[in-house]
Amino acid sequence: MTEPEHPYVEWIVREARRPVVVDRAGRDRVMAAVRAEAARRPQHLAGRIWSRLTQTQSFHLSPLVGGVLAAGLVGVGILAGTTTNWGVRKGGQPSADVASQPPVSHTTDTVVKFVYAGPNASSVSLVGDFNDWDTAKTPMERSANGEWTVTLPLKAGRHLYAFVVDGTTWASDPRAPIAPGDGFGHASSVRNVPGPVL
Amino acid sequence: MTRFFASLRRAPRGFASLAAGALLLLGALPAAGQDPFSRLDPTSRNIIDVVMDSALVAGLPNRSILSRALEGIAKKADNRRIVDAVRRRLVSLRTARAMLGPIGDDELEAAASVLEAGARPEQLERFRRRTTGRNDLEAFTVWADFLARGIPKDEAFSAINKLWQDGADDAIFHSLWNNVQSDILQGLSPGMALQNRIREAPTRPPTSAGKPPEGS
Repeated sequence: MTEPEHPYVEWIVREARRPVVVDRAGRDRVMAAVRAEAARRPQHLAGRIWSRLTQTQSFHLSPLVGGVLAAGLVGVGILAGTTTNWGVRKGGQPSADVASQPPVSHTTDTVVKFVYAGPNASSVSLVGDFNDWDTAKTPMERSANGEWTVTLPLKAGRHLYAFVVDGTTWASDPRAPIAPGDGFGHASSVRNVPGPVL
Repeated sequence: MTRFFASLRRAPRGFASLAAGALLLLGALPAAGQDPFSRLDPTSRNIIDVVMDSALVAGLPNRSILSRALEGIAKKADNRRIVDAVRRRLVSLRTARAMLGPIGDDELEAAASVLEAGARPEQLERFRRRTTGRNDLEAFTVWADFLARGIPKDEAFSAINKLWQDGADDAIFHSLWNNVQSDILQGLSPGMALQNRIREAPTRPPTSAGKPPEGS
């Protein structure tokens, strides 16, 4: 059931359905005005920069220039890789607001000698909290009597360390106290380095 | 050669971008290899980061936690063991701080090791200082060593506590360790070695001799 349509409604519908005829010259004038408006905007510098940044751009790059840019990016990548700590703080020192001990300068480090008796070993390295437990950082030197030695400047305080023999075998220092088992299967030794005598 | 350059000129424009991306990736790979934490899975790394942050917020020395993680990585322990060790370290540091109050970071780390070696917190609390100017780093180090060598917990505590109450200094503690270690190497049981040596330990610090050796 529908209401009878009003005569004006029928007229409006009829007019709306009638195709609009626009002469070609008029259409050209409208399009020229639109293009002129688009070319005029934006007026401000920031607007022009924004427009430049957001519009698709094309550029030409020679292989030589591309290679130079690539080399630069590689350099940036290496630099970032060596300086980034991947989210875990390194360096071993807590931030200044919680450190309960005054910072110790390098001039107050104590030179400590480490000795490992291993006449049959072909290589021995010293690892510990002072070199981030890196087996490659502190190789020891063999002396004439078959002992392996290295001297290091260490900050005053408690240091954990161990010897790595022939790159695979971990050994604690029989001349130093041991630290309790850490769950890793190899005991470490403890060296307490006294502070400087003032 | 001319043909080679001509072919390069004909290459698509994206060539340079692709080459740059590939070289950047190649450059970043060795750098990533230098980070020992890259051997851990992301979850373990996140946990270690959170544990270190927790230590920092609590005013605990997080270098000890970092060192424990690096030690585990160097010893090729699996991720779970490293995470467990790091968490255990945080707990023992917290407990040691609660038992001993404000002390130096090195002493706190040594005290945490005493707990990890099996001492009870209330035993550690007996070493809470009531006077300033004393440093118990050597006492805690020797105590942890005795426990790690299998000396019964109560015997180790009694020996260290006796010397501490008598005002022993670092040299006396180190001398005790040296003697016990020497007896153990000669075949004595750790408990027996300590019993013998604690009887002859001086009750007061000597005026000079007996300093712990520099180096070994």
